[in-house]
Amino acid sequence: MDFVTLGGNLLGVIPLGDIVLYLTPFNLFLFAVLLGFTLLIALSKPETQVEATMHYLYNTEVKVGPKELKQRRFLSIICGIASAGAMITGDLFNFTLFMALVGILNIGIVSAVKQTSVLNSAFNYGLIAMMCSLPLFGGAAIILAATGTLSLAVLSQMPASPMVVFGAVLMLIGILGESGVAPFFASKAEMFRTAGSPYIVIIHLSSLFIIVRAVEILLLVLW
Amino acid sequence: MVVLPVVVPDAFISMYLPAIYAGLIVGFIATMAIAMKREEIHILILTDLVGLAMIFVVSAVGTDLAEALILPGLVVELAETLAISEILITREMRIIEQNPRRNLPKSSSLFPQPFALNMEILNTAPNFIALLLIGYGIFLTGFTGGAVAGGGIVLYALSKKARGLPVLMLDGIAGISGISWCLWILGFLLFFVAPQYWLLSLFIAACGLLLKVASKVGLIGLLMREDIDRE
Repeated sequence: MDFVTLGGNLLGVIPLGDIVLYLTPFNLFLFAVLLGFTLLIALSKPETQVEATMHYLYNTEVKVGPKELKQRRFLSIICGIASAGAMITGDLFNFTLFMALVGILNIGIVSAVKQTSVLNSAFNYGLIAMMCSLPLFGGAAIILAATGTLSLAVLSQMPASPMVVFGAVLMLIGILGESGVAPFFASKAEMFRTAGSPYIVIIHLSSLFIIVRAVEILLLVLW
Repeated sequence: MVVLPVVVPDAFISMYLPAIYAGLIVGFIATMAIAMKREEIHILILTDLVGLAMIFVVSAVGTDLAEALILPGLVVELAETLAISEILITREMRIIEQNPRRNLPKSSSLFPQPFALNMEILNTAPNFIALLLIGYGIFLTGFTGGAVAGGGIVLYALSKKARGLPVLMLDGIAGISGISWCLWILGFLLFFVAPQYWLLSLFIAACGLLLKVASKVGLIGLLMREDIDRE
């Protein structure tokens, strides 16, 4: 499918050697929203959770310490920038790399929490993400082998051969695993159950946006 | 559709599909192994095998563009392994924090009955051998050196453990891992920025690799001991 029919009018291109970045209202909107959210995260303070205690009269506070706060804020800003990069990139392999980076950063954001169950689920999510890097990068490499290019602008003009369809299906499996949706959500759902809300929300938001962009990319490659 | 230069021999072109099949089969076997294994450290190592299969599939393309894809793929794979092992370390630290006596021996001891041998050699020899191994590993540099030095760290930890002393080296090893990562990147950067200092950058990268492999082997040894202890 032509990217003009998917993303609206072509506003311009940024020629960077072999890979030409293209700007459409769709990509720019996603990019701007993610950057705005990243800015909000950089400025905001984290929430504090209060856990009610059974049979006693006191509540326990789950707080984020100052050292952990700095680390988490840094990682969530990087995560926001990486997902914004995945929104605007015109290169298939760069998209997969941004995606893997988002996966690593998602693990990093929760790496210092005190709850053992959250760490357990982060460990499991990390294993799934690592296993899914095989279909993700493999799919991109198969598309490269079948068409000879990674530029989305060129790929969208090509008819899909069976090898390209196979590569796209592999990529879809990889995207599902890396972003932790549908069949793999069980491990990622537990990762949110800790204090420090705006930083935790970027885990959710980045995978949401990346799925939207991945649908666009798969449509570009297949049709 | 696919443009192949005439200089590419037929043998290389016919290798593409077998390489992809090999990669997918290796990935499948690795995931089956992960499904069978229960110890976390084994799962972590087996997941690396899936990453290796990914390198198979990417490198099967065999062009210079694919070569440019292998390196980021490899780096991402390593970074993910690092991130997951850091998660494991943090979790073990939290568990030890909650129950400090967990790391001490419960029942499984090298000697079944109280065995109070106060010999000088028991104190000095393991330290000396560990130092020797680490020194030899530094002399070797690179991947082999890292393995030897890591063996020294494991020996040191095991000898302390066998005498019933608490082993708390986890934070230090995690720190060394990060520093060595930076050293490695610095070496690579210097290669591109100032190619005339190639020997220096080679040594920086080799030392980074040495520290990284050593810390990884040490980490595997320490975690394996905990897994054995649990049984």
